[in-house]
Amino acid sequence: MPKILIPTPLRQFVDKKDTVDVAGASVGEVLSALTTQYPDLRKNLYSDEGKLRSFVNVYVNDEDIRYLAKDKTEVKDSDTISIVPSIAGGGR
Amino acid sequence: MLTIEPQPIAAMIEHGRACFPRECCGIMLGNEAADGARTITEAIACRNVYEGDQKDRFQLDVKDILDAERSARARGISLLGFFHSHPDEEAYFSATDLKNSAPGYSNVVMSIRAGEFAYAKSFIADFAQTHAEPEELQYA
Repeated sequence: MPKILIPTPLRQFVDKKDTVDVAGASVGEVLSALTTQYPDLRKNLYSDEGKLRSFVNVYVNDEDIRYLAKDKTEVKDSDTISIVPSIAGGGR
Repeated sequence: MLTIEPQPIAAMIEHGRACFPRECCGIMLGNEAADGARTITEAIACRNVYEGDQKDRFQLDVKDILDAERSARARGISLLGFFHSHPDEEAYFSATDLKNSAPGYSNVVMSIRAGEFAYAKSFIADFAQTHAEPEELQYA
């Protein structure tokens, strides 16, 4: 099964695990299965409209899914999916 | 409670001074205790990739965050937060900081006055991203 790396602040929603293996043939399927298994995680990844929240980036191995097929990006059992935050800001 | 060990806080301050009068930014790695207390053992000085005037804006490269996450995991530590500087400003968590943050991480803001470190504060954004709570911060 593809492996999902869970960022530190989200581990509280997945029984404190740092990695979760979830079945699925695409990124969308895998993330759907993940948030079905751990429902409290859903609001932290998705907006009320069902889109990934603005700070959430998803990588399959070294590739950002926005430059692949987004949530339809195919995944293999050997793939690693990373949830990576966007961080910006400033004094103004 | 966030404790930053001497070596990482020194690296963060040096990055803030070197980037002045532009904002610096970087990533903090370390350990989180069962009670939630965080200790930063390593700070990674990163490039500010904001395209525009960096005197009051910063942006981290997402690829740098991915690399830091992998580096931390490989060594049994965690990516716990981020830091940036406010040149000639107080160390507050601005509306821009909150809007462009990610919930649950520690965010250290350093006030750099006339090129020299003044003080730092830390904040954690809530999961709704509507509010950032000050976090008790200790550094040498």
